[in-house]
Amino acid sequence: MVTAIGDNVAENLQHLRQQKSGLGFTDYIDTIYKQVLPVGEIKLSNEALFNRAGIPVQGGFTRTTLLGLVAMLEALQQAGIRNLSKEPTGFINASTVGGMCDTEKVYFDLINPEKEGDFIESINTLDCADCTQRIADTVGFHDHIATISTACSSSANALMFGARMIKHGMYRRMVCGGTEALTRFTLNGFNSLKNVDKQFCRPFDNQRTGLNLGEGAAYLVLESESFARANNSTILAELSGYCNANEAFHPTSPSPEGDGAYAAMKNALAMSGHKLEDVQYVNVHGTATLNNDVSEGRALERLFGRKVPPFSSTKPFTGHTLAAAGAIEAIYAVLSIQHGIIFPNLNFSEKMEELSIIPVTELQEGVLIKNVISNSFGFGGNNASLVLSKYEG
Amino acid sequence: MPLWYSASMKVKCYIQGMAAISPQSTFEGDITNMPLVRTESNRLACIEPDYKPYIPANSLRRMTRILKMGLTAALKCLAESGVSTPGPIVTGTGKGSLQDTEKFIKEIEQYKETALNPTPFIQSTYNSVNGLIALQQQGTDYNNTFVHRGFSFENALVDSMMLLQEGYTHTLTGGFEEITPEHFYIKSRIGHWRTEPVANTDLFNQELPGTIAGEGSTFFVLGAEANEHSIAALSACKLLYKPDPMQLTATLRELGADADLIISGTNGDSNHAHYYHLLNNTLTQPSIPFKHLCGEYETAGAFALWLAASLLKAGTIPSALFPMVQQLPSNFKKIVIYNHFYGEQHTVMVVERV
Repeated sequence: MVTAIGDNVAENLQHLRQQKSGLGFTDYIDTIYKQVLPVGEIKLSNEALFNRAGIPVQGGFTRTTLLGLVAMLEALQQAGIRNLSKEPTGFINASTVGGMCDTEKVYFDLINPEKEGDFIESINTLDCADCTQRIADTVGFHDHIATISTACSSSANALMFGARMIKHGMYRRMVCGGTEALTRFTLNGFNSLKNVDKQFCRPFDNQRTGLNLGEGAAYLVLESESFARANNSTILAELSGYCNANEAFHPTSPSPEGDGAYAAMKNALAMSGHKLEDVQYVNVHGTATLNNDVSEGRALERLFGRKVPPFSSTKPFTGHTLAAAGAIEAIYAVLSIQHGIIFPNLNFSEKMEELSIIPVTELQEGVLIKNVISNSFGFGGNNASLVLSKYEG
Repeated sequence: MPLWYSASMKVKCYIQGMAAISPQSTFEGDITNMPLVRTESNRLACIEPDYKPYIPANSLRRMTRILKMGLTAALKCLAESGVSTPGPIVTGTGKGSLQDTEKFIKEIEQYKETALNPTPFIQSTYNSVNGLIALQQQGTDYNNTFVHRGFSFENALVDSMMLLQEGYTHTLTGGFEEITPEHFYIKSRIGHWRTEPVANTDLFNQELPGTIAGEGSTFFVLGAEANEHSIAALSACKLLYKPDPMQLTATLRELGADADLIISGTNGDSNHAHYYHLLNNTLTQPSIPFKHLCGEYETAGAFALWLAASLLKAGTIPSALFPMVQQLPSNFKKIVIYNHFYGEQHTVMVVERV
């Protein structure tokens, strides 16, 4: 994985433990909000990312692709996969705006017949499939590939789709996740909706005023239990439950009572076979927008009653990485289980008046964590919850 | 396991309802007496229906073209299928709402990033059509959008077939795409289209670089069990990413050996025609094209599935729509659709008479 708090999983863990946020101002986006709106930017230029990805600097590789490649190489290496041809392996990627990070810089040249030049080769990077295919071609995926775009729940849905393909016996191994680069397009999009905070975001705080965008990429290698055992794979955790539910309430806003979030968490937990009291941590979507946190908080209260488990949003570390968020936070859930840690919800100071619950604000170590719920909710009412569990097979 | 494996989805499901907005009169018309709409430019545009019966006027004003086409085809499809709720909603789109994306990029520039209207940003999100359908139909089940060029719709099919296996009685599954003048120009810069205008009926006369652009919105209700609404059965869907000729041949043989009609995605583009030649050499059954009807676009496979199901239901192939085919078979029960998008995403679907 790669995020504003680290170029790999170990660095992410280290900075989560040190409570070191990755929020700051952008070096790479051409925007009037450069010194106004904080973002979770990865402080590596595209040239540095080419270097990390081990490929020569060349046209056609957008920042979205490069971030994805860096994360993918780590995921494959950590899973001990050197040759993707040995075991048929599908690849499910997620993206919200594809290569917009680079194409927005040349778009007006693309539509101007008087402009000629190398930028023309970037035409194909306009869509969401481009990054998926370049990552696939670079590392050698040649089986089933797909790209999912359900806004902020995209990579949670990628994980779900991959897990289901394994369940249906189509593959024994799938690599799933998402990649997202900061763009002027999305920054202005969220800003036009008036839900970007000029300060560092404050999830579940009464004074919160919005989110900070972030960038990043994360992939998880999913294997069927029987294959993982036969293959002597190191099993880090089990994806024990998941649910995708639509709220059918509003194009961009969640319902005040969190119906979609409630349904997604409830059904994902039911699928995992675990009870409410078996959940030791909820990594909430927690964007710090006015609506999300009320809605998600109400859903937690409705589902868990008076016994809401410790919960926190890690968005103040990474920013909201949109399509990559589900996979990044799924890895955080795995880290939480592996190391017995609950991450703090930074920047919290005042309980929300609509809720009776508050997030975890201090780092907790040495906690026995067996089951984590990870939430990703998006535009279009697209809600997704995952349950990650300690593997006890 | 072989080196080139690529799992196929082989589950029988039933098309219980469908609707297509396309450059032909598919939305209202009956395929058996549908006239062939002839086009002279290289950009085929949809014949848009009257949206008012489907969408309230105050909503219509805010919606851009692909949102209207997507929602309307979905609603008509649901109405035809006799289901009361949409169930899971799964779609594919290669480009989403181009109009909104183009508008927002320009407004960022024009208004120097200030006082922007968020509507084009919201509508440019690839899952906005799915969200609209869910909102209008109160569809709170599973909802997913695939955005992978020539695999967009077919991944939605694979997902839907899995959902039916998992116990859902039906799904609403579709593909939608629009082409704008601006995007037509952009893609012309990398040779996607013919450089000289060609009539759609002349598309297959000679193979030259590029093809004709198209668009469409096509939706299906897929059911796990056959019922009185069943139009045709879909029994397999397979996706092959940049296959080598051996792998493609093997897949076509595996899925198509006993088919009695082939629907070919051939589009007259000499850059990638060799795959369709391979199809003709591998499966020698009678074959018909479809890109002269809808043009080339990422989710044209959805139109091909609509065509296959329509032909199976009608039991005949109307010669008016296929003037370039010398002899049309009169008896066919099993259709294989083979399509690819610019040589990268190859898909095979098997459709059978119920």
